[in-house]
Amino acid sequence: MFEFLSVFVQYADQWGPRLAEAAVVSARISLLGFALAAVVGLVLALMQDTSSALLRGVAKGYVIFFRGVPVLAILFLIYFGLPGIGVVFDAEPAAVVGLGLAFAAQMAEVYRAGLSAIPKGQWEAARSVGFLPGQVLFLIILPQVARIVAAPVIVTFVALLKDSSLASLITVNELVLEGRALATEYFLPLHIYIWVGVMYFIIAFPLSMLAKLLSRRARLGTC
Amino acid sequence: MDFLTSTILPGLLTGATVTITVTLASLAIAATLGFLLALVREFSGLRLLNFAIDAYVEYLRNIPALSHLFILYFGLASIGFAITSIPAAIIGLGLVGSAVTCDIYRSGFSALGKGQSEAALAVGMTPMQVIWLILSPQAFRVALPPLGNYALQLLKDTSVVSAIAAPEIMFYARSMVTSTFQTTLIYSSAALIYLAMSLPLAWGVTRLEKRFGGATDV
Repeated sequence: MFEFLSVFVQYADQWGPRLAEAAVVSARISLLGFALAAVVGLVLALMQDTSSALLRGVAKGYVIFFRGVPVLAILFLIYFGLPGIGVVFDAEPAAVVGLGLAFAAQMAEVYRAGLSAIPKGQWEAARSVGFLPGQVLFLIILPQVARIVAAPVIVTFVALLKDSSLASLITVNELVLEGRALATEYFLPLHIYIWVGVMYFIIAFPLSMLAKLLSRRARLGTC
Repeated sequence: MDFLTSTILPGLLTGATVTITVTLASLAIAATLGFLLALVREFSGLRLLNFAIDAYVEYLRNIPALSHLFILYFGLASIGFAITSIPAAIIGLGLVGSAVTCDIYRSGFSALGKGQSEAALAVGMTPMQVIWLILSPQAFRVALPPLGNYALQLLKDTSVVSAIAAPEIMFYARSMVTSTFQTTLIYSSAALIYLAMSLPLAWGVTRLEKRFGGATDV
């Protein structure tokens, strides 16, 4: 056991900086992908609330498609498949777009759960005292929705962060791919992949705890 | 078109059988192991054991499945425990899943009122009887819709095991791409095959949610 652990210490100054650098790439594609998912997801959620059957149908179809297809298949389709019809992405933008589009479907469901918790009467009341539709949305509805969805939003981000590891398979130089490079260099795959796992854990675990705390407080009604 | 029906579809469908096998086998592991973990965590009252289960669950839930699979497949092989790709995929996804289902069952148990076990104990049932006959069947009903959601997620997550050379849909897609270069056609066919499998499952989950109540956020 001591021998096993001492390997980590022995190589810390060689692996540490490289995996830290790769973790920055993982964090970057996760944050950018999540930003895209948050915006597209909100549009999808609002589309599903409109009176236009076309908009609702499109939003619904989008959610069904992206809920039913693996993120990996979407990444491959964007990075390897789209060049076949003339659309070429670099690896990192492809990962951001793929993760963003895939998780937009999930975010749409999260927003919808939040929106449906706000009684329709609030829209009507706010409109009748003279608020514009945009004002109702941004000043009255969304601030309340934000509280309800805070925990599931964080849970979704953690899921996206974990799936950002799939970007390694479309050659984005993030944690897992850097881990593979190190594993072929040093022939110590067990140690290196454990280290890679720990890097994800360091980012994801505090967020998961925060989500748990927030959802407990939301249930107790003190938030 | 001929090429699609003569080469691509048969290849992808061969992969689909492995996708289904891996999904079902790891679902079985996850659903069983998760339930045992939840039982121990909810009813043992042993703090050390509870801590160990919490650590297990948090460890598995906060690290990508891909990372676990690499540890199992490449990592363990390097110290002499070689596992072939399909069993490694099943064990890896099964263990990751047991952490998810443990949380699902636990929220099922916590949805039941304290009065139930008190009443059952008061009429003379043993604690074991209370757990097996009164609490578990109800917790299981509450857990069914989120378990269905998990199964849907699992079906999609099996695509990850192509990275450890398990010959499922994405693996076949990748190898056909290297020999034919028909990237657009092959990857969109793969996406559609996943969709064809997950749509009925998603429909079933919606039915379960209607019947047994809405989703819980686990």
